[in-house]
Amino acid sequence: MSAVESILWDDWHVVAELARLRRDGRIATTLLGQALILQLDSSEGGIEVLRKRSTADGYESVGASAERYGFLWVCLGTPRRPIVEFAECAEPERLTASAGSVRVAVSGLRAVENFLDLSHLAFVHEGYLGEQPHTEIQAYAVEPLADGGIIATGCRVYQPKASPVAAAGFDVDYIYAVLRPYVVVLYKANPVEPQRKDMIALLVQPVTEETCIAHMLTCYLPHDAEPGAIRRFQQFIFGQDRPILENQLPKRLPLSPRAEISVRADKSSAAYRRYLATAGVRYGAIAET
Amino acid sequence: MDRWFPVARSEEVRPGHVFQTSLLGQEIAVWRGRSGAVNAWENRCPHRGVRLSIGEQIENELRCRYHGWRFASGSGQCTHIPSHPTQKPGAALCATAYSSTERYGYVWASLQPRDDVPSLPPEGSVAVAVTPPVEGAITTLRSVYVAASLEAVAERLLLGRVARLDAYTLVTEAYDTAGVDDAAVANIDSVYWLLQPLEPCATVIHGLVGKLIPAAQRLAGLRAYNARLIGVRDAVELAR
Repeated sequence: MSAVESILWDDWHVVAELARLRRDGRIATTLLGQALILQLDSSEGGIEVLRKRSTADGYESVGASAERYGFLWVCLGTPRRPIVEFAECAEPERLTASAGSVRVAVSGLRAVENFLDLSHLAFVHEGYLGEQPHTEIQAYAVEPLADGGIIATGCRVYQPKASPVAAAGFDVDYIYAVLRPYVVVLYKANPVEPQRKDMIALLVQPVTEETCIAHMLTCYLPHDAEPGAIRRFQQFIFGQDRPILENQLPKRLPLSPRAEISVRADKSSAAYRRYLATAGVRYGAIAET
Repeated sequence: MDRWFPVARSEEVRPGHVFQTSLLGQEIAVWRGRSGAVNAWENRCPHRGVRLSIGEQIENELRCRYHGWRFASGSGQCTHIPSHPTQKPGAALCATAYSSTERYGYVWASLQPRDDVPSLPPEGSVAVAVTPPVEGAITTLRSVYVAASLEAVAERLLLGRVARLDAYTLVTEAYDTAGVDDAAVANIDSVYWLLQPLEPCATVIHGLVGKLIPAAQRLAGLRAYNARLIGVRDAVELAR
């Protein structure tokens, strides 16, 4: 079955929000084309992860699963490294919460790239995360991370309503980091304490090469933001991205720099595609030919 | 396939609306600039692949929904990139514009560049005596989508008194009024059936009546034709 490259097959991926699994008791889902059953183990209070057998009927246990940050994580192969680390979530004063999961009919790599994208904010999220005529994107820096992945710093966008507690518009400083092929995080200035940053991570579950579930993890400073408001705000924002993502052709992300035209503002997107190509990521991508 | 295909009725392509269709598996965005000229473009922005059919027509330009890039009617040339508003986009930065034109009440497009105009009966069609439609003396019918191959649709149409002029064009001379109890569709000079191959198993039938149906009979006539076309569609789809 494992035609999927090791960098994905032997890594950890989110497959469900724990709160939903505890509520529903049992969830059927798919990861990297592999059908899974997630269910509460009634005797021990744990969680059982089963995968459909490839050669016979029925299901068998999946080797590795873990609960972290309010989500259930699964590794279908042999874990080569730990679950991605978010240091902010360990800070006790912060509010770590899942902001929900959204199924999108597009490659998860397209969803990650959209999350990194600055220049759509004034159009797709107009009135919230951007506003015309503040459309110009100033130069920002993109560098590789030591463990693989990329980091974009010095990103600055004028935002009329940057978060559920933002009262007025202001220039927001962003840092973006792609930590794994399907994991991306942003740090943005808090509206109350602009020198400190709120964190939002997009943990993308590759369902098939052309469908994904985007799980949102938020880690906010405690100023007035309550989990329900954060969740509603993030789902509203992602609801604006979804119809855009589902209208991208092709559905998989082309890695060749000649496939789609990029400009300077797309520096992080171009670096992301290069990183995927170099790391040998093929699932959800159209490889350079 | 180097030829003209009808891709939309002219009256359906109005300023402010971007019409989505496809031709031989290629998605197309059809739209009309403020100048009145029609465009048939590959239905994806060259920047990040978003369908241009969800974009917005602004005067003589189409604006992509994702990043607000603007493309000029006619050439497809990118005229404005909001993330770099003071820079002029390069001449090579264009939406892919296919050849397009209007004739006989339809927008026509070709995936290969063409500088001629579409004609009916089509050039090189089989020798059948047919009346060429006259611009301005035409009634276009509601186009009907059929979830079947072009050949399956053509075969079904050929069960009537229909001649096939070429692979994509059929014609009814002296409409068979047997079973159609409606004077409005009788004594029609000629009806052309123009087949638009969307994909291998999806076809649109465009019907072009070679006369202006008088106003008093127009609604009844259009309904009678529509019922026949729906009958063709249902028969073909059920036979699959």
